[in-house]
Amino acid sequence: MSEIQKKKPSVISDVRYACAVGATNTVVAIKGAVPIANCSPGCQLKTTAMLTFENGFQGSIAAGGGNMPSSNATENDVVFGGIKTLDNLIKSSLKIYDGDLFVVLTGCTGELIGDNVPDLVGKYQKAGYPIVYANTAGFKGNNLYGHEVVVDAIIDQFVGDYSGEKKKGLINLWFETPYYNQNWRGDYQELARILRGAGFDVNVLFGPENPGVEAWKRIPQAQFNLVVSPWVGVKNAEHLQKKYDQPFLHIPEIPVGEEATTKFIRQVVEYAGIDKKQSEEFIKQEASIYYYYLEHFSEFFAEYWYGMPSEFVVTADAAYALAYSKFLADQIGLIPKRVIITDNTPAKFRPAITEYFKNNISEGVSIDVDFEEDGYEVEKLIEGVEFTAGKPLILGTSWELTLANKKGALFFEISTPSSETLIVNRSHIGYKGALQFLERIYSASVGGK
Amino acid sequence: MANRINLNMTTVKNRELRLGTIIGWDGSAKELIEQSAYDERSIKKHGGCKGAGQGCRLCELQSPLNQETMCSNAIVQCQIGNLTDCVLINHAPIGCSSEDAKFNLTMHMGLARRGKPQQNTLNISTNLQEKDMVFGGAAKLRQAIRIAKERYNPKAIFIAMACATAITGEDIDSVAEEMEPEVGVPIIPLHCEGFRSKHWSTGFDVAFHGVLRQIVEKHPKKKQKDLINIIALWGTDWFTDLLKPLGLRVNYLLDCASFEEIRQASEAVATTTFCETLGGYMGAALEDQFGVPQIDAPQPYGIKGTDAWLRAVAKVVGKEKEVEEYIESEHKRIAPKLEEYREYFKGKYGMVLTGSAYAHGLISVLAELGIKNEAALVFHHDPVYDGAGKNQDTLKELVETYGDIPHYTVSKTRAFQLPQLLKRVKTDFLIIRHPGLASVAGHLGVPTFALGDEHIPIGYDGILRVGEILKGVLARTKFNKTLQRHVRLPYNDWWFSQTDPFKLTNDKDVFKDIEEKLGE
Repeated sequence: MSEIQKKKPSVISDVRYACAVGATNTVVAIKGAVPIANCSPGCQLKTTAMLTFENGFQGSIAAGGGNMPSSNATENDVVFGGIKTLDNLIKSSLKIYDGDLFVVLTGCTGELIGDNVPDLVGKYQKAGYPIVYANTAGFKGNNLYGHEVVVDAIIDQFVGDYSGEKKKGLINLWFETPYYNQNWRGDYQELARILRGAGFDVNVLFGPENPGVEAWKRIPQAQFNLVVSPWVGVKNAEHLQKKYDQPFLHIPEIPVGEEATTKFIRQVVEYAGIDKKQSEEFIKQEASIYYYYLEHFSEFFAEYWYGMPSEFVVTADAAYALAYSKFLADQIGLIPKRVIITDNTPAKFRPAITEYFKNNISEGVSIDVDFEEDGYEVEKLIEGVEFTAGKPLILGTSWELTLANKKGALFFEISTPSSETLIVNRSHIGYKGALQFLERIYSASVGGK
Repeated sequence: MANRINLNMTTVKNRELRLGTIIGWDGSAKELIEQSAYDERSIKKHGGCKGAGQGCRLCELQSPLNQETMCSNAIVQCQIGNLTDCVLINHAPIGCSSEDAKFNLTMHMGLARRGKPQQNTLNISTNLQEKDMVFGGAAKLRQAIRIAKERYNPKAIFIAMACATAITGEDIDSVAEEMEPEVGVPIIPLHCEGFRSKHWSTGFDVAFHGVLRQIVEKHPKKKQKDLINIIALWGTDWFTDLLKPLGLRVNYLLDCASFEEIRQASEAVATTTFCETLGGYMGAALEDQFGVPQIDAPQPYGIKGTDAWLRAVAKVVGKEKEVEEYIESEHKRIAPKLEEYREYFKGKYGMVLTGSAYAHGLISVLAELGIKNEAALVFHHDPVYDGAGKNQDTLKELVETYGDIPHYTVSKTRAFQLPQLLKRVKTDFLIIRHPGLASVAGHLGVPTFALGDEHIPIGYDGILRVGEILKGVLARTKFNKTLQRHVRLPYNDWWFSQTDPFKLTNDKDVFKDIEEKLGE
């Protein structure tokens, strides 16, 4: 290895996330909210291409995709300032969109030329328009960072102050970054279903079950914030704790499979202090259905004599790398050969995640997790894995397709970008999703592959 | 003496300055032809003079509302980023590379269509952070160049400028020059920052400019008498079928090309393209500065266009006699099937929404199929192309051959205007070539054909290929009607009740209610 390669480069090949201004898609995930992109032409087409198209072709909705207002800065704006262009864009958006909340996201260009966006948006706020602004320059961070910035902006400028009572049993669900994981919509539904089943009133802020911006107005009334992710959303929960004196429960592991999900429910119920009768009833019912199916599956698992994978590699963001590795290693008994986390996890969360993979995945299983965003290095790491038992399984992105073919591996996409997969409504988490995850893995194995 | 292209500078003059490109206009195609004054502009491009007032600025409708769109940097990625043995470094924050996966998929498709081995794109982002905005990113760029060489051992390394790096004043020209001796391959700066030009197609010119300056052989030792340059994207290799009878091999530029294929462009016998918008710059430069003539003919769409184009190509290779036999036999060959399609599409109306010259070609094909076009939407209008050939006025050619288009709109990917555009005319389907619009139009009950393989409509067979595909597209109306019944676009009732797509531009009092509320 040369000197250059030894020194960890900051450059990136084969990118696996968008930049902060791609958080326009966080706004699209809120019913009735309209993102106003204050950036150059190309910014939204590119980031949205990665998040909604080249990502299971999940698509966009409402004021997302081609419908998204964008200032498309010109040379004139760069030289003379872009405020007039943005002012026109805001007026036009208010004029023709059906919107309950407008969020102005400023990208690199607006930030660098120093346009006073807060001042401009303030004019509309004073006049009573539901509009907020967020600083989401691409050089400040990726779309996960941008997501957290947008959430705080909506809380501070739209939800506002609150001094009323908290409602026991009402939870704000802080989960994944919308449009980032290919299954996010289905996963939100499954997690909300599980929490409701356990007896909670779940305030769903994004996705198919988000009722609209009124859910955001309800945030301060919740008993607590539930953050289900190794790190995304923790910053927002800390902010809410300060702002509304609202506690939060942080569970890094997205539960996959009966045992993990049951443990998850009990942990949340215990923390909330609500009556356990309903949750235990729900667990009993879900577990019975789960094992009804798992027993059927066990016949294939035992009898299929044409071969199936036993070793796997995962490359994904922290949340799903952890959730899927745990399920496969702990519940199915697949052997993890390498886990690579590619989402630029903030440094302060890395030790806990590393420790989790080392000692908490499953009895007798310990993984040295890698944090690597550069696709070239990710590929090198996978290339270096020596698979010893049967056909390997590679769970990753479309960047790994060529390598997987070379390795003769079973391959399917679980993280961004994904261009070999079409997703309409799917989940691989909780009780129901875990069984779908099994279907997907072993469908890739059957039929002489 | 024609001197249409200046290769001395690393930068390219924008299309709006070079060609007078506009992105907002609404009227009939005939009116636009008159206002464009192509012939006068063409004379000027060829070094002549028609006196004062020639080629004045076209009137342009400005829109206060714009929407998600493409940029020149993205175009450079889709061109240079799809070369097989050269690396593209995007000197930018990471978001500028977030379409890379899509261009990777496109390249895989393109390689398959051209029968080349599969590979991933060779891409690097300098991944600039906030501190780089303050202290500069030159060191990172040097590191990226060394890494590019180390990782991919490329034949050339390109550096793409982005908005952030253009604003902070990154000197990519100096870094390229300084590093070239060290890495031993051409390092080519591309000034393609997104805000630079109001239309993304300037990005094509920037990409061509880079390869013309630093890759295309300046002093070709030999001529390849049977090689013709086709300025293309990733389309299926139908040009070979079309040109084989004239004894020609095709050299596709730039997507999926290798360094060597670009280098040999100056050895070819001529240059032509599927789209004057795309190919004009490269064709004109190869003619002016490398002595490779461009084919001065209508584009190869529809029967008349393909005839004329083939004759012009045949003239260059001295096959005037053979081409007549070829044309006659092709007419005979496609006639029965074409008659069938004309019967099938009787009474149908279509609408094309693409870049400008390509739209003109597509509309010709629809007209051949007996489909009426009452309206069209182009994302930009170039009153003249860089080639500026006598026979390259594609809009005039279209209108003279197939008649006027009463509602001819120029507007850059403004999806919010679709309800009004579709309200004005009868349309059974749309053909769209740009992301973002087809899904929006699909909500309005009309099926859409996202034309990805740009070579589908070329030549005689292209007419039949389009006909065949459109049968399937029309059948999909059922899906779009279902969507229309249940799903609404994000615009309010007031907007849906409007009839003018440029209402926000044309009505000076349109924001009065908001301004009053703001106390303005």
